[in-house]
Amino acid sequence: MRRTGVLIGVIGVFAAALALALPAAHGRETADPGITRTSILIGGTTPLSGVASAYASVARGAEAYFKYVNARGGVNGREITYKYLDDQYNASITVQQTRQLVQQDQVFAIFNSLGTEHNLAIRDYLNSIRVPQIFAATGARTFGADFRKYPWTIGYQPSYTGETAIYGRWIQKNKKNARIAILYQNDDYGKELINGLRKGLGPMSSRIVMTQGYEVTATDIQSQIARLKTSRANTFMIFATPRYSIQSFIYANRLGWKPRIFVNSVASASNLMEIASDAGHNKRVNGTMSIQFLKDPTDSTRWAGDAGMKLYRQVMKKYLPRGNANDVFHVYSMASAFSFVEALRKAGKNPTRSGVMAALAKLDSKKNPFLIPGVTVKTGRADRFPIEQVQLTRWTVNRKGDGRWVRFGPLQRVPS
Amino acid sequence: MSRPSNSLLLGRGVRLAGVAAFVVGVAILPRFLSDFRASEFARVGIFFIALIGLNILTGYTGQISLGHGAFMALGGYTSALLIAGRPGLELAQLDPPDWIPVGNGMKDIWTIPIAAFVAGLFGFLVGLPALRLRGLYLALATFALAVSLPIVLREPEELTGGTNGLNLFGTTDDRLTGALDNAVHIPVLDRDITFNDWTYYLVWTTALIGLAIAWFVLRGRSGRAFKAIRDSEVAAASSGVSLASYKTLAFGISAAYAGAAGALFAIVSTIVSPGSFPVFLSIQLLIGVVIAGLGSLGGLVFGALFLYYLPVGIQELSEVGRLPDGLQDAAKSPGMPSVIYGVVLILVLFVLPRGAAGFLRRLLSPLTNRL
Repeated sequence: MRRTGVLIGVIGVFAAALALALPAAHGRETADPGITRTSILIGGTTPLSGVASAYASVARGAEAYFKYVNARGGVNGREITYKYLDDQYNASITVQQTRQLVQQDQVFAIFNSLGTEHNLAIRDYLNSIRVPQIFAATGARTFGADFRKYPWTIGYQPSYTGETAIYGRWIQKNKKNARIAILYQNDDYGKELINGLRKGLGPMSSRIVMTQGYEVTATDIQSQIARLKTSRANTFMIFATPRYSIQSFIYANRLGWKPRIFVNSVASASNLMEIASDAGHNKRVNGTMSIQFLKDPTDSTRWAGDAGMKLYRQVMKKYLPRGNANDVFHVYSMASAFSFVEALRKAGKNPTRSGVMAALAKLDSKKNPFLIPGVTVKTGRADRFPIEQVQLTRWTVNRKGDGRWVRFGPLQRVPS
Repeated sequence: MSRPSNSLLLGRGVRLAGVAAFVVGVAILPRFLSDFRASEFARVGIFFIALIGLNILTGYTGQISLGHGAFMALGGYTSALLIAGRPGLELAQLDPPDWIPVGNGMKDIWTIPIAAFVAGLFGFLVGLPALRLRGLYLALATFALAVSLPIVLREPEELTGGTNGLNLFGTTDDRLTGALDNAVHIPVLDRDITFNDWTYYLVWTTALIGLAIAWFVLRGRSGRAFKAIRDSEVAAASSGVSLASYKTLAFGISAAYAGAAGALFAIVSTIVSPGSFPVFLSIQLLIGVVIAGLGSLGGLVFGALFLYYLPVGIQELSEVGRLPDGLQDAAKSPGMPSVIYGVVLILVLFVLPRGAAGFLRRLLSPLTNRL
């Protein structure tokens, strides 16, 4: 009996305290937060730790570029502050941190958040409260295709399906005898890449002889590669993230498998290829194909006199001295930051959230110095894929044993 | 836990006062917090609930579990599926098989007890094979659960949304209280509070109920049986304690707490996905119980605060301007957060070998033992 009394007492105290304490709902409808006459605050999430920490450069490059812009007076007198948080590649943390950025830090927009699942997780939220989700760092098709349902969201890079469709088409045209084995990340990202390939292959889809998935949490994929080798395929598609693409090259070499290799652009940065090539010892890397839309920082001969790459090196040196200047993700994020600054300029002297979204829907610029010449950043009434041109590229090793990506063929339009 | 009898009365008085202070503190805290901090404390509360459960199993009954993240995942998915219901799932372009009873959408708070029940039942079943395993082997078996369950949950894509999981935001109308319009009407008081404050009160009310239940369970016959099993299984069995029923009971109860925590996690995050319940979550929970002090309810709040705020704090360290330049770069280098996490953990265990509860007891002992 006594216990029950105590319990009732405790509940009573709690209820009373609750009644006293409940704060009224804070109104928060103010005209576009995050922007003042001298500053604009944007935010985003990126894995800085954990399995996908290689993507940290996707935030740091953009940050460096904004610092560079700020040092030159900012955009219409406004300094850009870019606050990015570490979501450890965990979508529930992405949600939590995005809420933090919106509600506590009062950002003007979410910019450059990384990951398919992660951007999907915050898209409904951001659209319902009308906060722009700008240049989501993922090639999932939905971020460009579903803009009618999600008018506050826009992606940046070419779609994954489009990219692999290009590989498929190339094979259909040039390698009629292909037997294709695929390593893919067992999630939507990997599956989208496979779908695109099937589309590009068309009737040759039946030449896919084996697919092997790996989990995002996997530490090692040797068994997958061993199994793929048994398919005796002569063409090997690596649809993965950086860590696993490196492992793929290494294990394929160790197992003595010698297919023609394709690697999707997210996992094909030249600094990764250099690691995979093991200072020239791993010959499997030679001749690997991929696509490019960014200038490759390791290709110093091609871009020796290029103004864009000079700017890139200068920004890296000054604002990110510890960063690896050969990491193409830095180039990606500077390209994305550049386009954001362009859109912000376009949105007028006093940009609003909706003004910036409108500007993002009519981008048309050939000026982005970080993209390969000829690539236009273009959107329109029915087109929310800013970058839609890519070029095929092949990892080529010179006599000294130094490899680099060498582009070939025309600039192609990515099928969307 | 035994004390000289003359201090019993005062000990109880101190404890009651402590509980009352805690309850009042929980209730009035949001007054002093920003809206966002309230949502952070809601997450602390979720850890707190899971820790109460794990402490019953590990702290009181002496069974190590590295699989409680899996029970949370189960609770989270149960709750998310029930809240979404068939209409919500169809809005999300999923097509659950007809025989699965997801219902037509349920108000969020009612899914919490159901999620607790489902996870509890599952925990009870897991407890059965666990009867044969001890110590490290049990830890390994439960660890396998933590590793495999997220992958299993991902597989029926038409039901669970695959890797992207289930997004409750925008597919559930007002079944997810306050998420859409950020205002929750409290009829008794005729007031509106924000979504974040709402989640705070929802989580902590559940937590206090959970704490009360744990207290009742542990202070009676079953609590004694649990402790007897922890101290010596042979002795417990020879004193007539049924090892089988009490061990499975402990598993079931603690899994039910994890399930409730998972349900609240789904409500607060408005999303569940396999990636939200990583293997590390299970390890974290065990860390939390150890930090709190095994076999005590008093330190759990500290355990929960530690779990939530240590990673957040480390991250804030790396923000611009908080550290001198040299350290700043070091703090930003990849892997550094994990290193700091590890070092802090070791230090804390070094300073507080018996966890926060042991420390509290030491602090209070002059008060309770003096008379």
